Amino acid sequence: MTAKKLAWWLCILLALVVGLFWLLTSSRELDFSGPDSHSADLANGELLFHAGGCASCHGEALQGGLEMKTDFGTFLVPNISPDLEFGIGGWSGNDFLNAMKFGRAPEGHYYYPAFPYTSYSRASAADLLDLKAYLDSLPASRNPVAGHDTQFPWSIRRGIGLWNLLYLDDGPVVDLPAQDEQLMRGRYLVEALGHCAECHTPRGPFGGLDTSQWLAGGPNPDGDGKVPNITPHEDGIGGWSEQDIAYYLESGFTPDYDVVGGSMAEVQENTARLSDPDRAAIAAYLKAIPALPNEVD
Amino acid sequence: MARFSRIFVILALLFPLSQALAGEAPQEIRHEVMEGVRDAAKSVGGMLKGELEFDAGVVKESFATWADAAATFGDLFPAGSESGYDTEARDTIWSDRDGFNAALAAWSEAIDAGIAANPQSLEELKPAAGPIFKQCKACHEDYRVDDEG
Repeated sequence: MTAKKLAWWLCILLALVVGLFWLLTSSRELDFSGPDSHSADLANGELLFHAGGCASCHGEALQGGLEMKTDFGTFLVPNISPDLEFGIGGWSGNDFLNAMKFGRAPEGHYYYPAFPYTSYSRASAADLLDLKAYLDSLPASRNPVAGHDTQFPWSIRRGIGLWNLLYLDDGPVVDLPAQDEQLMRGRYLVEALGHCAECHTPRGPFGGLDTSQWLAGGPNPDGDGKVPNITPHEDGIGGWSEQDIAYYLESGFTPDYDVVGGSMAEVQENTARLSDPDRAAIAAYLKAIPALPNEVD
Repeated sequence: MARFSRIFVILALLFPLSQALAGEAPQEIRHEVMEGVRDAAKSVGGMLKGELEFDAGVVKESFATWADAAATFGDLFPAGSESGYDTEARDTIWSDRDGFNAALAAWSEAIDAGIAANPQSLEELKPAAGPIFKQCKACHEDYRVDDEG
């Protein structure tokens, strides 16, 4: 083969690779029929707002601005208040569903998975529209937030399309008997809006959750130490009763009457606002999932 | 009799000194005080959790334990007791003493309100104990080393 021919083949191969990348990473807006006819339940929206812990990252006034330092760069949490200019007040129901379920912005680009849409994708459209209605009922914030500061190759947002093919799955993680309503509710709260696994599960090389280690503890995003194992293994919270778990989520007290600490302190302020049956459902789920030991470092 | 009570007062005043002479460091004393606070929280929390029967007498005792602890706790952090004895005291206690004292005062106030409410049922206990418990977390978050993370 002559050098010229080889060059041609290489060009064709490169074009194919680029074309395939383009095709695989194209973001398509999904059309959810009916968001406009949805009659919103604001009380349910408020409950889901606390279950999702929105304010813990986006701020009490939803103003955004919190810096999340990760291995992939520094992410700035956006303003999600209903301000038309700086927030998300101009979004349609369909825009909101595409963002929450697919990590897709109304402008068509992908969000970085620092925004836990991989968990939120498991939430029902009706619940998400209630949540949107609740967000829209809160005051607007005129706080501008700058863009993210990410390193190459993570700075190419289009690449997230590939990442989504690998990690975006709106199915349940743990198989549980569907007839047990409490377990179903617990699974929904933990795996979807609660996004507990985003910290309590370790991640693989590209930052996707390692579901084989579901809730078995992960590195602490704030620095030192580890986020605890919350499976029913003795390394986790196997020694806690369902009542212990529910009371911890309500009061912040461990069974030894130590108080909740670290980033969980803010999370517990959210879980304190859930109902008793919802906290009991979370507890039942956490006792029903596979018991896993801590990974040896 | 008067003389006896005077001696008693002097002894009482000397008690902290005698503890120091007996070799108990402030780090150890405050750890013991906190253990007492924790045990009282176990009793009251157990009732709120539904594990223990409501008992107005135990509640009263627990509130008194907390009141005693709150009254003396701030004195147990003298200069030089920042480290050692596995203390979980955070350096913020010394760098932000006003904030620490304010947090203790807020706890003390919540306890006083709880004592004044004198709860006689589980329904009355909830609003009385809630604000006291809330202060545990508030203070630990800012002034204690978090051993989990």
